[in-house]
Amino acid sequence: MEDAFTDRLSEYLDDEDLGALERREIEAHLGSCAACRIVLDELREVRAHAQALPDVSPAADLWPGIEEQISPAAHGFSRAAADASMVARVKPRAAGTRRISFTVPQAIAASLALMIVSGGMVWLLRAGGEQTDRGIVAVERPRTPMTPANFADPQYDEAVADLERTLEVGRGRLDPETIRVLEANLQAIDRAIEQSQQALEADPANMFLNAHLATARQRKLTLLRRASALATTEG
Amino acid sequence: MPGAGAFTAFLGASSLRSQQDDRAARSGTDAHDCVAAAADGDVRAFEQLYRTHLPKVHSLVRRMAAGRDTDELTQDVFVRVWQKLSTFRGDAAFSTWLHRLAVNVVIERFRTERTQRQRFQDGEEIFETLSSPPRRSDLSMDFDTALMKLPDGAREIFVLHDVEGYKHHEIASMLEISAGTSKAQLHRARMMLRKHLGGRQERGDRT
Repeated sequence: MEDAFTDRLSEYLDDEDLGALERREIEAHLGSCAACRIVLDELREVRAHAQALPDVSPAADLWPGIEEQISPAAHGFSRAAADASMVARVKPRAAGTRRISFTVPQAIAASLALMIVSGGMVWLLRAGGEQTDRGIVAVERPRTPMTPANFADPQYDEAVADLERTLEVGRGRLDPETIRVLEANLQAIDRAIEQSQQALEADPANMFLNAHLATARQRKLTLLRRASALATTEG
Repeated sequence: MPGAGAFTAFLGASSLRSQQDDRAARSGTDAHDCVAAAADGDVRAFEQLYRTHLPKVHSLVRRMAAGRDTDELTQDVFVRVWQKLSTFRGDAAFSTWLHRLAVNVVIERFRTERTQRQRFQDGEEIFETLSSPPRRSDLSMDFDTALMKLPDGAREIFVLHDVEGYKHHEIASMLEISAGTSKAQLHRARMMLRKHLGGRQERGDRT
């Protein structure tokens, strides 16, 4: 249960710019409201988790790409010239590998291809009756550019349809609250997909919109995969 | 028991951070020399700075940008650092200066996309429903993953305040918003994330 004081608990926790009077008022409320004390503990736990998040290095060494842009020995660049070179970005690569550059359509194609392969993987996993993730999957880069904003994607549609069928069969095993949450999510994702598709019709080469569409579709697959796994194992 | 594993992870990460800080303190003089040499155009010295600071910068960029273009943005940060090194006066620690610059690079990159992102951003509804505590432990998401799913504005402020330690008035200045907005968005982010740490109140485990 939340009350008028709940929204002030973060301020109280951080003790930034909180007056003495306000502090005493919140403390008096906390003394009599168990729900707010629980929320405060949980907010404190969230903050502790954030402060303890580990640092993560990139999978590939980014230095070769940086050095290529800054090294005066390699390119005779001054710092000002390096600034101009920011326009032509150098993609990071693993040390010792040949650099591959992509055009915008190729990048979009790679994004869509990854989505298709992901969809196919879901289908294969479902067909094989497996319910666990396989971790990182090696994906071969497409050699032929695809047309941006091509919504026809039979493999994706098939994977979604297969998961929806699985979910429908196991629907009776899910409790009503789970079904409500699931349906709300699917509707929201479908709206996001529809909006992206409509926007892409006007601006088919827009990288952001293409990426947003791919993310939304991938999110739908992930959600369906999780729900299907739950529906086949619950109870 | 919800939270037990997370607490263990917290202890492990605290220990790790402490070790990193110790190493940073011991190498303070070396770092100062590296910065000076890099500012004079020594690429090898700059590479050493890059390797020292890469994990923190990459993590900051990744969380600020929710995983979008993380490697490319990290590269941009270090190229920008190289360009701006001559302006570093040593008034603050180099790492503080570097992180502020990294934040600026991310903000600048996404400022132009912000309008579009707001138009197509998934509403809070999607996160809150997704974040309702799943009944099976295998459906739970880890904290970092949950952070990535926060709406852009709330996530950026949460990362800057709770992960990076900036104050609301600093965040307000960086993002060109009011301190009140920063506080409200931080609270919003925390209230969403707390559900990923158990949502014990809603489930009635704590009664």
